[in-house]
Amino acid sequence: MNDVNTNLLPGMNPPMNHLLRGTRRHFFSRCMVGLGGIALASLSGQQRLLASQEMKPAHPSAAKPSHHPARAKRVIYLFMAGGPSQLDLWDYKPKLGELNGQPIPDSYLAGKRFAFMDTSFKDRSKLLGTKRQFARHGQSGAWVSELFPHMATIVDDITLVKSCAANLFNHAPAKLFMNTGSGQFGRPSMGSWVTYGIGSESENLPGFVVLQSGPRGPRGGGVNWASGFLPTNFQGVPLRSGGDPILNLRTPEGIDLPRQRRTIEAVRDLNLARLVETGDSEISTRIAAYEMAYRMQSSAPELIDVSGESKATLALYGIQDEQPSFARNCLLARRLVERGVRFVQLYHTNWDSHGGPGESLEGDLEKVCRDVDQGCAALVKDLKARGLLEDTLVIWGGEFGRTPMGESREKTGRNHHIDAFTTWFAGGGVKAGAVLGETDELGFGVVRDRAHVHDLHATILHLLGLDHTKLVFRFQGREFRLTDVEGELLTKLLA
Amino acid sequence: MVAKMTTRFFLYLTRWSLSLVAFGLTVTMGADSNKPANPAKHWAFIPPRRAPVPTVSMTAWPRNAIDRFVLARLEKEKIKPAPEADRVTLMRRLYLDLIGLPPTPSEVEAFLKESTPDSYERLVERLLESPHHGERWGRWWLDVARYADSNGYSIDAPRTIWRYRDWVVDALNRDLPFDEFVVSQLAGDLLPEATLEQKIATGFHRNTQINQEGGIDKEQFRIESVFDRLATTGSAFLGLTIGCAQCHDHKFDPITQKEYYRLFAFFNNADEPEIPIASADQISQAERIEAEGSAYIKKLPEKDPMVWGQMVAWEQSLTPAQRQALSQQVREAFDFAFEKRTDEQKQVVLTAYVEQAPANRVHQTALARIRRQRPKIETAMVMRELRQPRDTHLFVKGDFTRHGEKVTPGVPAVLHPLPPGDKLNRLDFARWLASAENPLLARVAVNRLWQQYFGKGIVETENDFGSQGARPSHPELLDWLAMELTSQGWSLKAMHRLIVNSAAYRQSSHARVDLETIDPNNRLLARQNRLRLDAEVVRDVGLAASGLLTQKLGGPPVFPPQPDGVMSLGQVKREWRTSPGADRYRRALYTFFFRATPHPALVVFDAPDSFSTCTRRMRSNTPLQALTLLNDGAFYEFARVLAARVLTESERSDAERFRYAFHLCVARSPTVQEVQRLNDLLHTELNELRLQPEAIRTAKAPEGADPVEFAAWTTVARVLLNLDETITRE
Repeated sequence: MNDVNTNLLPGMNPPMNHLLRGTRRHFFSRCMVGLGGIALASLSGQQRLLASQEMKPAHPSAAKPSHHPARAKRVIYLFMAGGPSQLDLWDYKPKLGELNGQPIPDSYLAGKRFAFMDTSFKDRSKLLGTKRQFARHGQSGAWVSELFPHMATIVDDITLVKSCAANLFNHAPAKLFMNTGSGQFGRPSMGSWVTYGIGSESENLPGFVVLQSGPRGPRGGGVNWASGFLPTNFQGVPLRSGGDPILNLRTPEGIDLPRQRRTIEAVRDLNLARLVETGDSEISTRIAAYEMAYRMQSSAPELIDVSGESKATLALYGIQDEQPSFARNCLLARRLVERGVRFVQLYHTNWDSHGGPGESLEGDLEKVCRDVDQGCAALVKDLKARGLLEDTLVIWGGEFGRTPMGESREKTGRNHHIDAFTTWFAGGGVKAGAVLGETDELGFGVVRDRAHVHDLHATILHLLGLDHTKLVFRFQGREFRLTDVEGELLTKLLA
Repeated sequence: MVAKMTTRFFLYLTRWSLSLVAFGLTVTMGADSNKPANPAKHWAFIPPRRAPVPTVSMTAWPRNAIDRFVLARLEKEKIKPAPEADRVTLMRRLYLDLIGLPPTPSEVEAFLKESTPDSYERLVERLLESPHHGERWGRWWLDVARYADSNGYSIDAPRTIWRYRDWVVDALNRDLPFDEFVVSQLAGDLLPEATLEQKIATGFHRNTQINQEGGIDKEQFRIESVFDRLATTGSAFLGLTIGCAQCHDHKFDPITQKEYYRLFAFFNNADEPEIPIASADQISQAERIEAEGSAYIKKLPEKDPMVWGQMVAWEQSLTPAQRQALSQQVREAFDFAFEKRTDEQKQVVLTAYVEQAPANRVHQTALARIRRQRPKIETAMVMRELRQPRDTHLFVKGDFTRHGEKVTPGVPAVLHPLPPGDKLNRLDFARWLASAENPLLARVAVNRLWQQYFGKGIVETENDFGSQGARPSHPELLDWLAMELTSQGWSLKAMHRLIVNSAAYRQSSHARVDLETIDPNNRLLARQNRLRLDAEVVRDVGLAASGLLTQKLGGPPVFPPQPDGVMSLGQVKREWRTSPGADRYRRALYTFFFRATPHPALVVFDAPDSFSTCTRRMRSNTPLQALTLLNDGAFYEFARVLAARVLTESERSDAERFRYAFHLCVARSPTVQEVQRLNDLLHTELNELRLQPEAIRTAKAPEGADPVEFAAWTTVARVLLNLDETITRE
């Protein structure tokens, strides 16, 4: 690159071009490598082809090759925050109904610790049969509770993993554990690891997006999608359900997009001059960041505007109005992955079912099930119909499950349980219409194919083409992984 | 299952042993084993010593000993240092580094006019004496202290601990010797005749999170906070990842699990109270009034036994969100049926009911009358030693439910010994840590100072000086600086002075083509580094440029504007009522920091999350930063006020105004090309905006200003506040 091709920088004013031509050519030619992304962004398709293959992406989250061929290109994680009661939803245990009201045999309890163990509840250790009707569904004949009539129709597209196990039984640390592989704060979340590992295919949206619904945010809030010690461009960006989907996405009052564009162009030109003066490649990253910011300002509003969706699609999800809802977020998740976003996480609260007000296994559980049932099923069907399911991994589950024993506060409930709970997977290289793992006759412990959280993480990364033992980041003197020193591939889950 | 576990365990051990072998270590089995063969030989455990200051051939360059170490290394590689940065760059660099604020245009002008040879050094002295120095470097220390204004975990209720923050700022301003600084924070409460200030200093280790979730095992979370205190102590003062030894002997450094728990024992006896900060009279007055209020509430059921029933009905009517908003004590009492509650629990719930239920308006008025005279008493969170020490056991695999052998307080054998004694406590530990014999403390401290000034430490792994950490780039310089710190009576200001007066520091930060292959990461320091400003300074520069900055020091945290909806992202929605008046424009150091929902403009520029100690900040460069500077209401306000300032305070010519605006943001004058580019922009804006009544109306021009001109200058101001250079120390 002996001279600067001024055509690469459309919109730049003549004095700047003059400046770039006149001074410090060596720096500029070096920095042009970093500038590739910006220049490319403003080029026509023809010019793009002409641009050098060697230009390195200016955006640090750009797509990168995986370790091995990927079965899944993207993830949608439906996080049921609070711990859904697998015994009332997925893991049918007639024996538990037979023994309803009887104390749990001591053999099950030896050496176990529970949440709220230091406060006394009557009937704490008495077994509680489910009040829900279960039936077999689909070709696979999987048992599903009456609370999920819509999800019952997709059992042939999903694999139920009934043998999940975790380590921590309080909500905030357990959610962190499910998201980061550690109960300690400060570790990167799965979405951050994935975008760190393979980048994102979206040029106009962040690679890792979080959506929330329900009365409150998940416990712990932003740490659940934090990038920990990984660079912050890998952190989850929460799209908000009301108002601007991304903070500060809207220009200040009275500043329209053309004026914003003129502002950004002037910033770019002055930054370029400084880049030439100082030779600091961070300036080219910053210029690229401003371009992405500008594109996000138009792409994010387009993303959340679902008015172009067909009536049939809206009906499939059960979206009736403009109100934020879980179903709407499911549709947004599909729109996000269609636009190249790598990792989408939906949080829904509150699945805590202790039996206290707002947390009963009666009306409260029915309500949260109604909130999510249709949207989850619709998402899988919609992805399938569009040919996206085969390389999109959908995950449904919470941070832990609930005990076979009942808990009586004002109404009936169950306590937190980490020894056995259910998560389901669909699409992206996972078996369809299968059940993995089995619990004992009371649903207390796993008797076959235990799927610990670390194993789930290893398997999810594997599907994305990443080897969990190789996806490492050096921090504080040692190499960290999503799976710490654990994690085994759940080969039976793979299609 | 069993077979699988065993295999895994075996593999684990094998991998472990292999890695030890790979590092040339021998493995011996048994207690306190698995140490490297001769850990005492690792450089960081050998006490620093002063190597002779090297001789160099380019004798005109060095200004002090630092430079001779740096230059000797450069000469070995046949590299010449970079030229000194220009005077304005140097001045802005000094301001941002020493006080975290940019120089004003008049300060720049005065400095450029000064022709005495020592004008730079005199500027350094002025800045070191500025009260803003403590604010700038206070934040440096608060990162380590994981300071925040809320309890963390899921409930994240506000806490009052800002007196500790003010203590840090003050201690750095008066240059409290670093050894005393350390001892006060770890064990100020145990010092003979401890002052209130020394007690407040122990807030350092009260900056741990507190879990207020229902149903938790409190002992578990007390122990979590002790684990955190150990990890923080290790990173902050020793540069060691001692947390690794929580579950097993440290794999790479000579710290056994037993030694970890002997350290743990020093921290295991603390009580964690809040103490009032008020005169004895005020305290007794407050107590008297409080007692009067409680007595009033206590009498209610005696007068009317129906009150209990009404209270229970009220409890049952609460929504989950309302319950969550009540205090921890009340929520715990709720876990028990009425008849199972203790008298104290009944009283706690009754108080909540009387104070909160709308039906009790009459009582609430009466209580307000009683409490009207109650003095407002500030509190501080401190450490206090328990009279009866707790036993400390080793926890098998770090699990607090699995007690191993009982241990007594002690320190790792690889480090200098404790003074003899059998009743050793936290103060003994603090004094041991801060003793001149400690091979690590001074090195770790000067390395973190260095890191602030050059972007990287001499040891790049600033929190790992162990065998897995990076080797120092300039070992003799590190030791020389460490010795200098102790011989200067642990004066941090002496170290600041030494570093910023060096020629190494004063170099230009421009990239050098000749170094691109030899030293791409600038480890040899043949130039300075351009560093993006810390999150707080990004805000402070905007405040200073626009002239909005409130210079007041200290006091309770404040609530500057933030986008709507931030607080709803936490589990419990916390209130954020924007501070009125001057408190709206305080330095970011004073922004209330909720751990679960921190101010987004801080987070986006990599302010630490305060969940655990942070010894080095990341410097990311993201689109969300661009969106913040472009669109955030606070930054837009800075731009509008900056535009108004430029229009009213400078001469009427546009050229003068560009110059003034440039000076306010980046301290220097614009180049001809830069003026031309801004001028083009200004004229485009004037032409475009004339046709946009809406833009003019919403611009809300100050009185007397032409609205179109004001709107156009607002665009110019936005451009300047968004420049990479504005948020960078060059």
